Amino acid sequence: MLNYSLRRLAWAFPTLLLLITVAFFMIRVAPGGPFDSEKNLPAEIEQNLNAKYHLDEPLVQQYFRYLGQILRFDFGPSFQYRDWTVNQLIAKGFPVSLSIGALAMLLSFTLGTGIGTIAALRQNSILDHGLMGFAMLGISIPNFVIAPLLILVISVYMGWLPSGGWEWHWRNMVLPVITLAMPVTAYIARLMRGSMIEVLHSDFIRTARAKGLSEITVIRRHAMKPALLPVISFMGPALAGLITGSVVIEKIFAIPGIGSFFVQGAMNRDYTLVMGVVIFYGALIILFNFLVDLIYAWLNPRIHYK
Amino acid sequence: MRFCLFSLFLLFNLTALAAEKLVRGLGPEPDSLDIHLAQGVAALNVLRDIREGIMTLSEAGEPVYGVAESVSLQAEGRLVVVHLQHNLSWSDGTPLRAVDFVHGWQRAVTPVTAAANAVLLDAVENAKAIRQGTQPLESLGIHALDEYTLEIRLNRKVPWLSWLLAHPVSFPLAGAGGTSRDHRAGPFNGAYTLKSWTPNDRLVLQRNPYFHSSDSVSMKRVEYVPIPSPNTELNRFRAGELQLTETIPPARYDWLQENYPNELKVHPYLGTFFLGLNLRRQPLSDNNSLRRALLLAVDRDKLTALVLASGEKPAYSLVPPGIGAYQQQYPGGAGDKQSLREQTARDLYRLAGFGEGNQLHLELRINSSSTHRRMALAVAAMWKQTLGVVTRIVHEEWKVFVNNRNQAVITEVFRGGWIGDFPDPVTFLSLFSSNNVQNWSGYHSLRFDNLMALAEAETDPGQRLQLLQNAEKQLLDDVPMIPLYYYVSRHLVDQRVNGYTANTLDIHLSRYLDLEER
Repeated sequence: MLNYSLRRLAWAFPTLLLLITVAFFMIRVAPGGPFDSEKNLPAEIEQNLNAKYHLDEPLVQQYFRYLGQILRFDFGPSFQYRDWTVNQLIAKGFPVSLSIGALAMLLSFTLGTGIGTIAALRQNSILDHGLMGFAMLGISIPNFVIAPLLILVISVYMGWLPSGGWEWHWRNMVLPVITLAMPVTAYIARLMRGSMIEVLHSDFIRTARAKGLSEITVIRRHAMKPALLPVISFMGPALAGLITGSVVIEKIFAIPGIGSFFVQGAMNRDYTLVMGVVIFYGALIILFNFLVDLIYAWLNPRIHYK
Repeated sequence: MRFCLFSLFLLFNLTALAAEKLVRGLGPEPDSLDIHLAQGVAALNVLRDIREGIMTLSEAGEPVYGVAESVSLQAEGRLVVVHLQHNLSWSDGTPLRAVDFVHGWQRAVTPVTAAANAVLLDAVENAKAIRQGTQPLESLGIHALDEYTLEIRLNRKVPWLSWLLAHPVSFPLAGAGGTSRDHRAGPFNGAYTLKSWTPNDRLVLQRNPYFHSSDSVSMKRVEYVPIPSPNTELNRFRAGELQLTETIPPARYDWLQENYPNELKVHPYLGTFFLGLNLRRQPLSDNNSLRRALLLAVDRDKLTALVLASGEKPAYSLVPPGIGAYQQQYPGGAGDKQSLREQTARDLYRLAGFGEGNQLHLELRINSSSTHRRMALAVAAMWKQTLGVVTRIVHEEWKVFVNNRNQAVITEVFRGGWIGDFPDPVTFLSLFSSNNVQNWSGYHSLRFDNLMALAEAETDPGQRLQLLQNAEKQLLDDVPMIPLYYYVSRHLVDQRVNGYTANTLDIHLSRYLDLEER
């Protein structure tokens, strides 16, 4: 197990290097540069700017300079937000994205597995169809439709919760977390229902029931763990997706997370910011996948990592 | 019970506190709060609250003395002597002296600073040469004669000097500020100091007790919240979280007029939207009749009233209204009825060699935005209906568009537009000078260039305006662009806000604003 973990971690480095290289050259291929704007700069000012940020060097030299920086965990200065380094921007935005993402994950996991289990136990009943229909709605309605509706009703008409903005306060988190969690909850509920139904039909459950265990004990002690397996393997990418993919939510609720830097960075050709966020996300996804594999092994006795 | 009372007390306290702060929408996240690097409107607005120059702007957006006690012009306006107030200090308590301006201006033009707005200081003696690295820094035409007196030497009289002296690029800096200094930390010399700044979240400003007119500043605390999406900003305004928005969603204009008639403030803004015509390429080069036909075929009343429908004013000239004594110029036909204009357009189109058998195929290039899309579709439809022109609309992402427009190799008709730095016709007209880097059309007219040069040398204000008016007339006759509409500023202002005065520059310093308690 330890051996496996170390090997997996060792693989992370070439993966990241590949990611860095592809991202570095891709963003440079995009037309336009960080300092192009409505107002053209006089030539000498543009030269000075390029010299200041080493953009006048050959691309390969810039690439190796950048690799050197990353080894020191220095993502460099942002080209667009010139008072900030990329490290500072990520340090400010990540805790916000992480808390919203993690809360949304927690909510979807609890609700999703609960709903899925209930639906599976009442398979093909009205309750089952009702819950799954609801889940289908959750998956199909995009969050840029849900969010403004929630804001309109809860914030503008009722005045119960703030319509946006960020303070480290639960009031600011409720609406974005709900919006973000909705499709994931629905997806988990469907996954959970499917796998629970499958598990409930397997031999070891029949044995457990035959021993005279109560239905609750059967579910809790025997069915839950194997039924959770597909949900767990979905959770790694889902959590990464929740943290990284909340761009729309961040925009609608005016939340100072990291996702907006990704989009703004790309639009502004803010090379360092885009690269910083890409590498950071990349590392995060690798980490989550790794963790999920470990949890998976712990839950599933049939899996042995060598 | 006791807990309930306590909560009530807390709640009451919180609402009482709320009235002590004013929350303003900022639009996009400011690019920098370094006075020499800041370019965006958002950053400049915040900078005007936390810093102040020789001049500042009044409630009505007119230049008035800032840290200066008096400013006098000598030697036909080429020598400016500034006397500073004597009670000035920075927000850390250290005195503000004339030499701080010298430090600031020197840093602005130093090549390593690479300040985009340094060009605004080009009229200062040697500024341009220093920027280009051919003169030493000390030769810059600004000197501190003593602690309170500044002497500024200019290459020529600058008609917009008082505006320039109110622009952040000309503000003072405490001590010899190196390029690496953290300008977020201050010290500041404006009505407010920057207390905290979280990117994409908020900038918190606190009243500066060291500000010379601190007694007249009513709001203790001002928060700027960057909200790039106008819809989100509107929601937050409606939920009572903002008292002043940066803009409105254009599509909600009618709805806002109906539902928020007292809050909605629409006012002419110092900007013109136009379609540029690339004169370096066929079919538009050397064909004045064709360009004029395209110009006349666009029904700007319809465009602004029905298509854009969010307060814009139809434009027939480059220089927008509201610039002092400058008389707006209109090309021939501007006052005619649209039906007559269209008749003339058809005649000119035929004269230019096009007609039913020989359709003109044009490309109209815009950067993607819903407003531009609607504008482009409407213009293309008008050209098609009136003249039979087949227009292909090309949408491009912002940076791609800007790049193509600058290169002027593949453009034909393209989205143009300009927001003036100062309320002076030159900021608009100089766009079309032969040697201007912004001359996207490649317009080149000896007469126009001559008139602009004469205006630059002219010291009599009346004569100068006359020359500029003639220059614009020439420009409009040559049709290197089609003016479509003048920009307007659009804000929602809570009715509890006092001191808000709409102005053409659309600059509203927080020091003049006051929020009534609920």
